[in-house]
Amino acid sequence: MDRRRKYKEIIIWSILSAAITFAVAFFIIGYIMLKGSRTISAEFLLDSPKGFPLGSSGGVYPAIIGSLAFTGVACAVASLLAVSTAVYLKFYCTSRRLYNVIRLVIESTAGMPSIVLGLFGYTLFVLKLGFGVSVLSGGLVLGIMIFPFIEVRVEKRLGEIEQDMLLSSYALGVSRYYTIKRLVLREALADIISSVALAGGFAMGATAPIILTGAVIYAKAPESIMSPAMALSYHLYVLVGEGAPLEYVYGTATVLVMLILAINGAAMLIGRMKRGE
Amino acid sequence: MKRDKAFELIIKAFTLVSVAILGFIIFFIGAESLPAFRYSGLAGFFTNERWNPIGADPVFSILPMVLATIYVSFLAVAIALPIGVGTAVFLSCIARESARRMLKPFIDLMAGLPSVVFGFMGLMVVVGYFEKHFSMSSGESVLAGGIVLAIMILPYIVSTCDTTMAEIMKSHKKTSDSLGVSKWHMIRYLVLPAAKRSIFAGAVLALARGMGETMAVMMVIGNSPLFPRLLGKCETIPALIALEMGGAPVGSLHYHALFAAGLILIIMRFAVSMAVWQIKKGSDF
Repeated sequence: MDRRRKYKEIIIWSILSAAITFAVAFFIIGYIMLKGSRTISAEFLLDSPKGFPLGSSGGVYPAIIGSLAFTGVACAVASLLAVSTAVYLKFYCTSRRLYNVIRLVIESTAGMPSIVLGLFGYTLFVLKLGFGVSVLSGGLVLGIMIFPFIEVRVEKRLGEIEQDMLLSSYALGVSRYYTIKRLVLREALADIISSVALAGGFAMGATAPIILTGAVIYAKAPESIMSPAMALSYHLYVLVGEGAPLEYVYGTATVLVMLILAINGAAMLIGRMKRGE
Repeated sequence: MKRDKAFELIIKAFTLVSVAILGFIIFFIGAESLPAFRYSGLAGFFTNERWNPIGADPVFSILPMVLATIYVSFLAVAIALPIGVGTAVFLSCIARESARRMLKPFIDLMAGLPSVVFGFMGLMVVVGYFEKHFSMSSGESVLAGGIVLAIMILPYIVSTCDTTMAEIMKSHKKTSDSLGVSKWHMIRYLVLPAAKRSIFAGAVLALARGMGETMAVMMVIGNSPLFPRLLGKCETIPALIALEMGGAPVGSLHYHALFAAGLILIIMRFAVSMAVWQIKKGSDF
């Protein structure tokens, strides 16, 4: 009897926990979408923010373009460097010690708080290198932030490639370059793209790294990577701080969440399609 | 053959660039915080005084912020851990396969939401609730920060624990069933004890994440550099950096002190991560 009660407690605890978790998840997403969907219109998506406080009317067009620009720069820089590093670690690095040093550096970057990366980027990119507050500076900081994210996933994926296939290729006298290009990267391409897209979603939502380095309260849609830009995440923070009308705040949050969901959804789909599910 | 060499060279060059940049960050932050440490000494950062970076005689005591960072993130883990582990038990042991497949994506979805959205919702719902029902003049508090952060780290805890528990379930289900052991007995005496290490690792991982979180926490804690009390305002280290960096003249002591604050945060997180590493090293899974 006593024992049965103990089991009952476990069931109640776990079902209750799951109920809380999923209720919170549904609530957050549902509430934002519900409140925001009323604001979203062609005008909201295609107009610049106007009014006082800023964002009391108009739309979020420059912030959408700015967010995409930041994310694009971050993904371009990080994917190139991260995939190269992963290929190096998996196929060229022969020294165990060097491997461990590189791993340590990557892992300590992964553990770096994003605001500290912003602080670093602010001093180095914005001030010392003279990039100014720009899409480039912000994108580079975001790129550093997502570098470990991509590298770890790609390296893991490269490690899953069948060893037999590689050995056969080498045994046939195929060069390492050709093996990597034709066998390894082709085999892993879908998963690499999927990792980069996931990292892009992560970068798009980040605010702390770009507060000081790239995002501004108001700007036109960026014309080059040297111009400062608005970003949806930072715009949302500014709107909340300024006490802008709530429907605009919810509208902005909805656009941001939908964009990220779309990117993450696409990433998952690409990964699944490859596996033929 | 030429291409082979060129490709290898490019790969090596990119790797070198990456490692150089990443290694440089740590070095850079250390170097930039040195002047502040030289000014007030390591002990000067942990005195019982107030943070006053712009007086004639600047004081850089970040003890209140260190305590606030620890307080908010521990509170968050304390709230999220029992719920997260319970949810993982539900997903891996109780829910049917179809339900599990339907519910699991929502965990990933929640993990993908940007922190500024959590901060906004926290301000609207949690802080708003406190102001309405607790007759607090301002709902922004350590407790609000802890709750919002708990919601944010919940998916990480669920994910880590669920993966391990599902594996344990898979490898022992047949044996347990054929021995006639009930599911509840199995959860209580097999799954939970076997997942203990993974639960702990998940909690510590979440703690490290929470300590470095800026936006979600900053938007709901009120940001005054006071010693933290559960229902009082406080300011965490990331919030301090985010709020003061724009106004600190480059090269001033204030500026260097903010780098020092960043360095102290990194060290705190590093210490926590070391714990995870130790656990992993001794792990059976």
